[in-house]
Amino acid sequence: MLVGQLLSAGIELALNQLLQLDPDCQGRLKKLSGKQLQVSVNELPWSLLFTFSGQIDVSALERNEEQAAMESSADCHITLGLGTLSDLKDSSKISQLIQQGKLDLAGDINVAQGFSNLMKELDIDWEEQLSKYTGDVVAHQTFSSVKSFFTSAQQEIDKLAAQFSTHLTQPEAVAVKPVEVDDFCEQVNVLRSASDRLEARIDQLIASQQDDQ
Amino acid sequence: MSVSEKHASTAANPSASNKQAPESTEKTHFGFQQVDKSAKASMVAEVFQSVAAKYDIMNDVMSLGIHRLWKRFTIDCSGARAGHKVLDLAGGTGDLTAKFSRIVGESGEVVLADINDAMLRVGRDKLRDKGIVSNVKYVQANAEALPFPDNSFDIITIAFGLRNVTDKDKALASMYRVLKPGGRLLVLEFSKPTSEVLNKVYDAYSFHLLPKIGELVAKDGDSYKYLAESIRMHPEQDVLKDMMQGAGFEQVTYHNLTGGIVALHRGFKF
Ligand SMILES: C[S@@+](CC[C@H](N)C(=O)[O-])C[C@H]1O[C@@H](n2cnc3c(N)ncnc32)[C@H](O)[C@@H]1O
Repeated sequence: MLVGQLLSAGIELALNQLLQLDPDCQGRLKKLSGKQLQVSVNELPWSLLFTFSGQIDVSALERNEEQAAMESSADCHITLGLGTLSDLKDSSKISQLIQQGKLDLAGDINVAQGFSNLMKELDIDWEEQLSKYTGDVVAHQTFSSVKSFFTSAQQEIDKLAAQFSTHLTQPEAVAVKPVEVDDFCEQVNVLRSASDRLEARIDQLIASQQDDQ
Repeated sequence: MSVSEKHASTAANPSASNKQAPESTEKTHFGFQQVDKSAKASMVAEVFQSVAAKYDIMNDVMSLGIHRLWKRFTIDCSGARAGHKVLDLAGGTGDLTAKFSRIVGESGEVVLADINDAMLRVGRDKLRDKGIVSNVKYVQANAEALPFPDNSFDIITIAFGLRNVTDKDKALASMYRVLKPGGRLLVLEFSKPTSEVLNKVYDAYSFHLLPKIGELVAKDGDSYKYLAESIRMHPEQDVLKDMMQGAGFEQVTYHNLTGGIVALHRGFKF
C-alpha cells in the first residue's frame, strides 16, 4: 500500500519538472487540457491515470472493481505490456502496435498521440539548465563535450545496429567473419576513446572549477 | 491522572468514551480534558488559529512527508473526474482541493469548507499562488450543520478533520444529507496502529517528541499536545465504520495506511 502513490508521485514530479524546462510545451499541453489518459501495464498492479490541465496529475488506481467506474471515465485507455512501453515514444507507431496486438486502445486515440507528442517534442535547453548550477562557461564546455560524446556514440551505435540487422536478415551470414570482428572491435575502441576524452574533459573542468574557488 | 493512564483507560473501554454518547450531554473531550460541549469548538478554533501559518511545514515535519501519500491515496480512491462537484470539508490549507480542482476541471467545482477563517485564508492564498482560482469556492462552515442543499456533491472528503468536530454523529449525518445519491464520502483520519510494537513507538513519538517539535518549529507545544491527544480520543477503525453506517452510509470499508496510524474510510450513499 502507498507504493502506487509513491510511484505516481515520482512520475508526476518528474513529468512536471520536464515540462517546466520547456517553455514552448504549454501550447501542446493546452490541447490536452481537461482530458484523461489511463495507461494499464499488464505487469503492474496499478493503472496510471494522467489528468491534463496546466500541468499533469498522475493517479495510481488499484485494479479492483471499485475503481472500474473511474477507469471508464478516462478519455483514452491504453493497455500494454512492459516491453511495449518504450515503443510509445513514437506516436506514429501506435496504430501499428494495435494491429500487432501489442497494445489495446479504447477511446480517443488523439489523447494518446497528444501525450506522446508532448513528451517527444520536449525541447529542453539543458545547457541553460546546467548553467544555473555551474555558471555559463563551465556549462557551455561541459555541454559541448557531452554533446559531441553522444553524437559520436550515436554514430557508432547506428553502425553496429545496421550491421546487426543485416545479419538478422541474411541467415547465411550468421557466422561472423574475422574481418567483421576486427571491424567491431575497432568501433568499440572509437567509442571507448570518445568516452575517455569526455571523462578527461570533465576532470579538467572540475579541477579548473576547484582552482577558481 | 497522567497522560498514559488516561490513554489506558480509554483503550479499555473505547466505544464508551470514543462515541461520546454515554458522557453527559454537556461535556465532551478536548484532547484528554473534559470540557463543556459549547466550549470545544472555540478551543479547537484557537488551536488552528494558532497553527495556521506553520500548518503546512509542520505536517511535513511531523509525518516525514508521508501525509502527502495518504492524501494522494484518498484522491486515488475518490473516483473524481471532470465535471464532478467535490466538497473538501475541514479542508484547511487546501492540499486536497488543489488536486481535485485540476481533476474536475472547468466543468466541475470544488468547495473548500472549514470552520476556521485563518486556515481558509492560508488555503486561499496558497491556491491562488498555484494559479488555482476559477473552479474553487471557499466557505466558512461547521461540519455539523453544512450550509448546502440536500444532494449537492458527488464526493465529500474530510481529511484529518473529523476528530476535531464536537459532535461527530451530527457531522456524519450532515455530510450524508448533502451528498448526492451515488456519491461517496472519504474520511482520512488518524486511527489505531494494528501492531502493539508500532503502537508503543507511535505513543512515544506523539506524546514526547511531537510536542517538542511543535515547540521548536511552530513555537507552540500546547497545540501539538492537543493534536496528539485528540488522535488518541478519535474512534478506532471499526467504531468509525459503525458510526458511518449509523449515519446511513452503505458499503462502508476502510484501508489501514502506514500500519493503521492512519485509516481511510469510505462509504456510499445510494
Ligand atoms: C488538521 S486540519 C486538516 C486540514 C486539511 N484537511 C489537511 O488534511 O491538511 C483540521 C481542520 O479542521 C477544521 N475544523 C475543525 N473543526 C471543524 C468543524 N466543526 N467543521 C469544519 N471544520 C473544522 C480546522 O479548522 C482545521 O482546519
